[in-house]
Amino acid sequence: MGKTAYKRLKGSQSFRQRLVLATLSSTPILIEDIRTDETWPGLQKHEVSLLRLLEKISDDCVVEINETGTKLKYKPGIIMGGKHLSHDCGVSRSIGYFLEPLLLLGLFGKKPLTIRLKGITNDPKDPSVDTFRSTTLPILKRFGVPSEGLDLKIESRGVPPNGGGEVVLAVPIVQSLTAVTWMDEGMVKRIRGVTFSARVSSQFENSMIHAARGVFNRLLPDVHIFTDHKAGPQAGNSPGYGISLVAETTSGCFISADTAISRARAEETSDFTDDEKKDLMPPENIGQQIAFSLLEEIEQGGVVDSTHQGLLFLLCALCPQDFSKIRVGKLSQHGIETLRNIREFLALKFVIKPDPNTGTVILKCIGSGLKNLSRKVS
Amino acid sequence: LVERTMSRQTLSLMQLVYGKSTVNSTDVKKENDSSEGEESEDEFFKPKEEVEKQKRREGLDCGIVNSEDCSKTAKFADLKCWKDKDFEHIRDRFVTGDWSK
Repeated sequence: MGKTAYKRLKGSQSFRQRLVLATLSSTPILIEDIRTDETWPGLQKHEVSLLRLLEKISDDCVVEINETGTKLKYKPGIIMGGKHLSHDCGVSRSIGYFLEPLLLLGLFGKKPLTIRLKGITNDPKDPSVDTFRSTTLPILKRFGVPSEGLDLKIESRGVPPNGGGEVVLAVPIVQSLTAVTWMDEGMVKRIRGVTFSARVSSQFENSMIHAARGVFNRLLPDVHIFTDHKAGPQAGNSPGYGISLVAETTSGCFISADTAISRARAEETSDFTDDEKKDLMPPENIGQQIAFSLLEEIEQGGVVDSTHQGLLFLLCALCPQDFSKIRVGKLSQHGIETLRNIREFLALKFVIKPDPNTGTVILKCIGSGLKNLSRKVS
Repeated sequence: LVERTMSRQTLSLMQLVYGKSTVNSTDVKKENDSSEGEESEDEFFKPKEEVEKQKRREGLDCGIVNSEDCSKTAKFADLKCWKDKDFEHIRDRFVTGDWSK
């Protein structure tokens, strides 16, 4: 152990991407100064949970955390995948937080991954499970991930603070991804969406849909928003409602926006003063706001929305040594961090060029040539 | 002139993402690596002022060292209220818009 050369990193930023990239590039990492100066120092619950999840899906990986949790040693193993796995994601972050890294890791496993995740399905901070179904999975298919075996089933809903949702994620394995030239964002031809309500009246959903439709009606007739009212055990432990919208374009791009409304988590109440206001935000406003935020994403004019920029860059970087060219809207902070992490771990730089005519950004790269080494040769 | 501004823009975006002087990338990267190694040498106690100073030297990156890991950026707070003008602006991004442009 003592002789392993660790890559030294600092702070808790991009925690998930660092772990994913470390695992995929088999780089042991040592993260120091994790929230050293903060009132609650060290790793947080969801981060520890993510590490446990990594241990669950991989073989021979070593995680060492010091007493205060401000220092972490991670030596990646081989991703095994496997069926009938189960993981409790806790309630400090939603399942979306875990899905993002899990999707990437699952692709490069030894066996296809099927895992049941318990926790929060919808919250305002992370992309909701509905968005994963509608937007994230189609993005993966662009990169040559087979559609069979790629699935996310929502068994029950759960919102903060108490969660109680359950989803089943299935990820197939690939030998390698295929590079893309994905420049045409197309024009929006239809808008789809789904609302949910758990432990509240289903009337909330109708109000949200009505408000959202009101915004889109002057632009596009083809708007269908489905409802998903849950009651009883399928509704989880806390009341809440939310909406996830996706705009599909003529060139097969998916642009998403989503949110959920529920009571805040206990530890957050003291931090944010506007929680009271958020709690009270009525469904009509939510519907309208989320419609506006979808329009804003459409206005940006990339092939993916700002939420999925990071994933898109990672997928490009993990492609075989082939040329990828993509167009995104304004670079998001998360996207920029992703690009930095990719350089850090894969020594790979994108060529970034603004396109002044459309206000978009064009990125080009040559993939790192990652092959799925853990996959069984048959 | 247009060409020059174009190239400057390119450079500035690359700079924004990858830090200064991206022209000869390999040299810079090496430099970065070595300096990081020095900084992270195990010093257990450090006066807070020094840390602050060091942070300032590192510049832009310091603020986000412990920033939240979250891919979603859309916040309702800074959402503008859409007016008729804005709708006209975005209309051509839809199949119902003017295709001749």
